[in-house]
Amino acid sequence: MNAPTSAVLRMDAVTRVHGEGATEVHALRSVSFGVHPGELVAVMGPSGSGKSTLLTLAGGLDSPTSGTVSVEGTDLEGLGAAGRARMRRTSIGYVFQDFNLIPALNAIENVALPLELDGVRTRTARAAARAALDEVGIGDLATRFPDHMSGGQQQRVAIARAVVGDRRLILADEPTGALDSDTGESILRLLRARCDAGAAGVLVTHEARHAAWADRVVFLRDGVVVDETGADSAEVLIDSGTPR
Amino acid sequence: MSRGTSWRLALRLARRDALRNRGRSILVLVMIALPVLAVTAADVVIQTQDVTGVESLDRRLGSADALVTVEAQGSPVVQFFDPYDGSGTVGDQGTGRPPTAEQVSAALGGARLVETHLGAVNVRTDDGVAIVDGTEVDLRDPLSRGLFDLTAGRWPTGPGEVVVNQALLDQGYARGDVLGLTDDGAPAPTIVGVAESAESRTYPVVAGPIGSLGIADREGDAGQPSWLAGGGPVSWDQVRTANALGATVLSRAVVTDPPPTSELPDEMQGWGGSSDDQMVAVIVLVVVMALLEVVLLAGPAFAVTARRQSRTLALMAATGGTPAQSRRVVIGGGMVLGTVAALAGVVLGIGAARLLLPVLQHWSNTWFGPFDVPWLHLLGIALFGLLSAVLAAVVPAWIASRQDVVAVLAGRRADKRPSLRSPILGVVLLGIGIAGSAYGATSSSSGEFAIAGSAVVAVIGMIFLVPIVVVGVARLAGRLPLSPRYAARDAARHRTRTVPAVAAVAATVAGVVALGIAVTSDEAQNRETYRAELPDGMGSVSAYADEAPVDWTQLRAAVAGKLPDAQLTPVRGIIESSTPDGPSYWLDIKAAGVEEPDRLLDSYGSSWGASTLVGESAMTNLPIDVPEGVRQEALRMLQSGGVVAFTDQGVQADELRLELHRWEADSEDESVERLSVPALMVPVALGNAGPQAILSTQAAKRLGAPVGVSGLLVSGPITRAQESAVSEALTATDTSSSFYVERGYQADNETVIIQLVLAALGGVLMLGGTLTATFLALSDARPDLATLAAVGASPRRRRWVAASYALVIGFVGAVLGAAVGFIPGIAVTYPLTNGYSEATAGHYLDVPWLMILGLVVALPLLTALIVGLTARSRLPLVSRLD
Repeated sequence: MNAPTSAVLRMDAVTRVHGEGATEVHALRSVSFGVHPGELVAVMGPSGSGKSTLLTLAGGLDSPTSGTVSVEGTDLEGLGAAGRARMRRTSIGYVFQDFNLIPALNAIENVALPLELDGVRTRTARAAARAALDEVGIGDLATRFPDHMSGGQQQRVAIARAVVGDRRLILADEPTGALDSDTGESILRLLRARCDAGAAGVLVTHEARHAAWADRVVFLRDGVVVDETGADSAEVLIDSGTPR
Repeated sequence: MSRGTSWRLALRLARRDALRNRGRSILVLVMIALPVLAVTAADVVIQTQDVTGVESLDRRLGSADALVTVEAQGSPVVQFFDPYDGSGTVGDQGTGRPPTAEQVSAALGGARLVETHLGAVNVRTDDGVAIVDGTEVDLRDPLSRGLFDLTAGRWPTGPGEVVVNQALLDQGYARGDVLGLTDDGAPAPTIVGVAESAESRTYPVVAGPIGSLGIADREGDAGQPSWLAGGGPVSWDQVRTANALGATVLSRAVVTDPPPTSELPDEMQGWGGSSDDQMVAVIVLVVVMALLEVVLLAGPAFAVTARRQSRTLALMAATGGTPAQSRRVVIGGGMVLGTVAALAGVVLGIGAARLLLPVLQHWSNTWFGPFDVPWLHLLGIALFGLLSAVLAAVVPAWIASRQDVVAVLAGRRADKRPSLRSPILGVVLLGIGIAGSAYGATSSSSGEFAIAGSAVVAVIGMIFLVPIVVVGVARLAGRLPLSPRYAARDAARHRTRTVPAVAAVAATVAGVVALGIAVTSDEAQNRETYRAELPDGMGSVSAYADEAPVDWTQLRAAVAGKLPDAQLTPVRGIIESSTPDGPSYWLDIKAAGVEEPDRLLDSYGSSWGASTLVGESAMTNLPIDVPEGVRQEALRMLQSGGVVAFTDQGVQADELRLELHRWEADSEDESVERLSVPALMVPVALGNAGPQAILSTQAAKRLGAPVGVSGLLVSGPITRAQESAVSEALTATDTSSSFYVERGYQADNETVIIQLVLAALGGVLMLGGTLTATFLALSDARPDLATLAAVGASPRRRRWVAASYALVIGFVGAVLGAAVGFIPGIAVTYPLTNGYSEATAGHYLDVPWLMILGLVVALPLLTALIVGLTARSRLPLVSRLD
């Protein structure tokens, strides 16, 4: 078996079933794949193919019906709710389509949020947040509230929040969906840059041109991985084996 | 769209929304239905236990058509339609004789009369002597049927027999016993039955034929008969005819169907109604404050509803709806929920009253009337509930109708910036409130009303200031830890939701603080102006010549029987009245040789047994609190035939003039004996409650004042049980005697209860306001909480956020409310503690800091704790991503 410890995110035969009996829906069926440091993986597929479910499982916001999800070698299921929350504070960063900044907090406070939640002293957290904002190019907007920012600016804040504190797994759910194409491109460039700097990224998108930024593309349909480009073939053979 | 269809659309939207958002709807329903329920239940209970004129007729008249009472001198009388509401004699002395039964019967158109006598009788019981309501009437006569309800045994058949109620049996009697009447010459009837009075439930009652209780044999008014009259309705004209003879008539027909008030005699026209204006003012204030509180408590729910509907409303506006139509949708919610809440509150209130009545009857002294549902009142109460729901929806509706359509459709969701107009209006109203309170504090009469009115104005002014205070708190929150910072900022962003909640807490706290200051200051005045009558712990027995001279040997034996170890010291003084038929005396002491002498004392008392003590023994045996040097000097003064006088006015004199006033019994004539004697002035504190002076035996003799034992001092300590045992023993010996034990200032139980009720009320309302706003805020903050979860907040974070919300709302509200409450609170202490006499004059202000600290600090923390513990800790994890 390939050393799975080298992958930041590893999903092994993950199945997620919503509901039961007549209303049973298989959102994911025995999906396996891994994302390594420095790698940006795009997940593509039509609506209802299970893209978002894959992302919620990867971030520990939801638990698989069967199979395991591990981040940096740790099985998320074994951690419990509090442990998974700690993972989201220290190892996993989310970027959403509609930004999801907290309107009651200003930019720097939104970015500092994961650190503050982790118990880092406010001063230290803010310094790190300011650095993250500088990195995404909006250090001058630190004290603005989300309501007074453009969509592109808000998404930059969201990315800064996702990477602050040197988190190594970035999960982006259609991060450009609410943005015009120029702004969208600059956001993806930012994401690519973070991965080149050593993070592992998962980008859920349904636009092929965005997938061009990725090292690999995983295609999902009806909860099953139907194709995978540029992947380590041996890994695919072993991991995506017998679909149920 | 016509007006009607537009309302129909609004109400349909509101009804659907109410059904879809069950939690929020139930919250509003509870907020409005609870006060409606409470007031309804209270009203039904009051109406039921209140036996009004018509209902009470059977109890007072039995089966008779009228009850006639006569005045001993036969003077003409005037009366209301119901003489209980007022009656009195007019004109000259009259015939000097009461009207006879024949005269009364003729005046009432030949009515059949049944003689009855009502009066109190003294009955020996296990514990001593009880005062019992006595009725002498032929209980077997049809006219008296209904006055008593026989529950055991039989009716009396002759003057040697009576019936009593259970309350009297409980004091140590059984059927078949001889009733121990203690009045002189009273008969000794046998108890043959148990009958409950139609009126009194727990008060002891006895009834029997004429002559069975000795009431009819009494002299004066007490022995005058009353008559139950039968044989047809008694008209108002017949009542007036009887009035002219000196008879007062309670007529069933007149009370049931009273003539116009213009028929009342002139003397009765102006009566009553004088306090109506004040009563109305109080009711209006109470209703306004209650309405305000309910509106504020229900307000946040409508604010959230309106915001949830903002997208619908924006779409309506985008498709051509007018602001008025948007408003109707939100107000429609108020109408739908208000109607349901009002109806539910009334129905449940009636049910609650029905269940409560048997419990309350158990504690009440009188029998309640039939179950009485005052529909007209209940309609008003229901309208109050509906009105409060609609009012609570008005401000959110107004804001919703003016929202920025583009911003809403684009998904931006903050409230608008606070306008400057409302804080300015708030400051103006607050200023009016302060000015009104100041006016009330300084005005000479009914200042309390001005203060109460201005308190409402000040509270309304404060509500207008809440938005900028909330925004200010959010500005200051930048340095706070995450949860409180988030809570404060979010509270300021959603002011339509936060402001009414904060205002509800503030209004409650303001009321509690104001009343608290008033009650505590009143209490402080009572404590400060209290003057002990005796040294602490000591008791004194006093008695006056009621029917015979006081037998001190017997009284002394009675006390010694209960307190064998106590030291008993007889007090010698001037006996102001030694026998009922003898002369009475009053000693006046003035500075000698002065044309208009100053008073020596502002006040003095007779707790020592007499207001003037006599003899050296008073100085040696009694615990008069003076320095030893003064005692020796006083003894010398008494030995040399002078007087030792107390002064709280700083009067200096070497010689005093004694004036002994004397009246003979049954005479207005007064004779005065004057004597000037050397004097020693002893200063005492203002508000003195002890004797005015100690007279030497010689001086008393020269004045011709009757000197003797006038009281008995009992050394302490005396427990409360001993005190009541001694009191009972004394009453059994001599009904005129009484026993007083000095225990220092005792806080009124009522004050403590009022403070507890205030604190509880404040706590409940604060909890209600805070909980509503917090849980609405949490449901509103779902997306934010999901984001928090996504970036790694632990499940407990939700609890912290919830507790922080509660803390922000409770704390800001409490601080604002306490500040505003001080205005009427301090103002009302001026009219309240403004004493009348010199000793109690002055202004007392005592702020209950502990209670205020509890309200401002402890209660918000407690509320936050409760909210933190009851909030669900699970964060809405995936809702955002679905």
